[in-house]
Amino acid sequence: MTPFLTESFAERGARERARALLDPASFRELLDPFARIASPYLAAQDVVPQADDGVVVARGTLGNRRACVVASDGRFLGGSIGEIGGAKIAGALELARRDFEDGRPTRVVLALDTGGIRLQEANLGILAVTEICDAIVALRERMPVVAVIAGRVGVYGGLSLSTALCSAIIVSEGARIGLNGPDVVETESGIEEMDSSDRPLIWRVTGGRRRFEQDFTTELVADDVGAIRAAVERAFERPRPLGPLVPPPFPDPRLERDAFLHAMEIQP
Amino acid sequence: MRTVVSRGRLWYERFANKGTAVAGLPPSVLAADVSLDGFPVRTIVVVPDPQARFERARAGEVGIDEGFGLAAAVNGTPKKSAILAIVDVPGQAFGVREEAVGLQRALAASADAYIRARRGGHPVLALVVGKAISGAFLAHGLQAGWIGALDDSAIEIHVMSEPAVARVTRMQREDLARIAREIPATARDIHTFARFGAIDRIFRIADFDEPSDAEVANVHEALVAVLRNPVLALRNPVDKLAVPAATQTRALARRVRDELAARWDE
Amino acid sequence: MIETLSYEFAANEPVANRAHVGVVASGNCEVLLEPAADGRASIVVRTSVTGFDRTWQAVLARFFARNPVAVQIEINDFGATPAVVALRLEQALEYAR
Repeated sequence: MTPFLTESFAERGARERARALLDPASFRELLDPFARIASPYLAAQDVVPQADDGVVVARGTLGNRRACVVASDGRFLGGSIGEIGGAKIAGALELARRDFEDGRPTRVVLALDTGGIRLQEANLGILAVTEICDAIVALRERMPVVAVIAGRVGVYGGLSLSTALCSAIIVSEGARIGLNGPDVVETESGIEEMDSSDRPLIWRVTGGRRRFEQDFTTELVADDVGAIRAAVERAFERPRPLGPLVPPPFPDPRLERDAFLHAMEIQP
Repeated sequence: MRTVVSRGRLWYERFANKGTAVAGLPPSVLAADVSLDGFPVRTIVVVPDPQARFERARAGEVGIDEGFGLAAAVNGTPKKSAILAIVDVPGQAFGVREEAVGLQRALAASADAYIRARRGGHPVLALVVGKAISGAFLAHGLQAGWIGALDDSAIEIHVMSEPAVARVTRMQREDLARIAREIPATARDIHTFARFGAIDRIFRIADFDEPSDAEVANVHEALVAVLRNPVLALRNPVDKLAVPAATQTRALARRVRDELAARWDE
Repeated sequence: MIETLSYEFAANEPVANRAHVGVVASGNCEVLLEPAADGRASIVVRTSVTGFDRTWQAVLARFFARNPVAVQIEINDFGATPAVVALRLEQALEYAR
C-alpha cells in the first residue's frame, strides 16, 4: 500500500474505516453485503436499501487482542440507524460482554458517523438505541468501550446519547457531537435560535475541537488513519476515562442568546 | 372551568401524595419516596416549569436541568427501593444553549442512572401517561424493565415531530401519514408501539384528565403485582425481544444477533 | 416508487471472486458481483429513479460487450449517472478478477 503522509479517515467508507482500525489482515466482516440482510421497511418509502444496512461489523484483532469494530456509513441515509444496523451494534456489544464472562475479552470500537435514528424505522430504531445504551453500560463495567467520532457527519440524535455512555471518545475536528441537528433546532425553535446554514457557528458549538475543550471527549485527533489507530490503542492500553456525567460549568441561561454564547466563549 | 394540569403531574400526585419529597431537584423534576402496598418506590416525573431558567425547557421538555436532575433523583434511590418513572415528555429541549452545554450528556446521565439502577437490582417501572418522545423517552422511561401506558390517542411515541421529519426526508405530510398507516415502525400511537413488545400493559381510562378512583386503583394494583414479583421490572431491553408480542415484529433483530453469534468466531 | 429491472447477457469468461463496491447515496450506487454458475451474466437493478430502463440496458450492454463475464450482479441505485454506473462495474470487476 502506498504510504502517504496522512491518510484521511473521514474520506473512507465504513468498511475501509473498520479495516483501518483493526490490525492489518485481521479484518473479517460479519453479515457483509452478500448476506443480504437489508431493511424490509424502505422500499415502501421509496428508498433503495443498502445491502449492509449502512453498518459494518468486523471481527479481528487490535493490538493483537480480540476486537470488534462496528462502523456506520454516514453516506447511506445520513448514517441513520434502523433495525438491522441497530441490532448489529447492540449484538456486537452483547457478544463482547459474553466474551468477557467467558474469559476471552473482546475490545469493541464504535466508529459512529450518524445523524441518529432512521426516521423510516423510528420505533424500531428507538428500541435499538435503548438496547445499545444498555449494552454499552453493561460492557463498560468490564472493558473500555471506545467511540471514534471522526466522520463527515459526526454523531447526532439518540446515538449521541449512546456515545456519551462510552468509556472513551476519540473525536476529530471535522466531526460534530450534538443531540439535535441544526436543521431540527431551526425547525423547532426558529432561525433566530439556530441558523442551520451557519456552518461555522455549528462547528463552534458542536464541533470536535469544542467538545474536546469541554472535556466531553478523551482525545482530539487529526483526520488521519494512523493517528486514530494510535488513539484507539491508547484508549485500551492506557485508558484515561471520561469524567462522570455531571453538568459542565455554564453561564446563567437567562442571558440573551448571544450574551450566553459569548459567556461560553462561543462567537455567536 | 377546570384547570388542566400536566398529565404527568396529575398521575404523579395520585401515586406520590403521601410520600416523602426528594429535595435538591430542579422545579421541573419531582420525585418522592412512597410506599405502594408496603413496597418502597421512588416515583419520578418531569413537569412543565414556566419559570425554568432555560427558555426552551418550560413546557415539560427534558433539557439540561431535567436530564441531570433525573439522574440525581435516580442515583439517590434508597437501597431496595423500586423506581417508577411517570412519563409525560413532549421531547427534548431544542435550543442552542442546550447544544452548547451538551444536552446529549444530560440525557445520557439519566439513561445511565436508570440502567445502573436496574442492573443493580432496583425494579424499574414506567407508566406512560402522556407524550413519550425521542431523547426524552430514551432518558426517562425506555430503560424500565416494565412499561405500562394509558390507552389514549393523545399519547405519542416518536423520534421527531412531523414538520421536522417532512423537512429532513423531503416528504409531504400526507405521504408521511399514509406511511405511518402502512409501516408500523413509523406510527406514533401507543397500540402500534406495543406491537413491538415494548409495552407490557395498557390501561383504559374514561377521562384522562380526571381518572376515577377505581381507575387509579386498577393501575395501582397492576404496579403492586409487578413489585410483588419484580422479574419483569428487572428485565434488560434485549430481554424484550423474546416476549410473545415480539415474536414476529422483532424477528429480524433476533436474527441479526443469531447470525452475529454464529459467525463471531471462525 | 422503487423500480426493479432485470437484464441478461451471454457471457463465457469466468471470474474468480465476488466483489462489492459503492454506496447507496445520492448520485451513487452499490454493486454486488458474484461468479455465476452458468455461462450467462444476469443483472438485477433496484432504483428509486424510475423510467430509465433503456439507459440501463445500454450501459450494461456496453459493459458486457467489452467484458463478457459470467456473473450475477445486483445494483442498488440512488440516481447514479451512466458514467458512475460504468465506473462501479469496472471497479467491481477489477476486484473480482
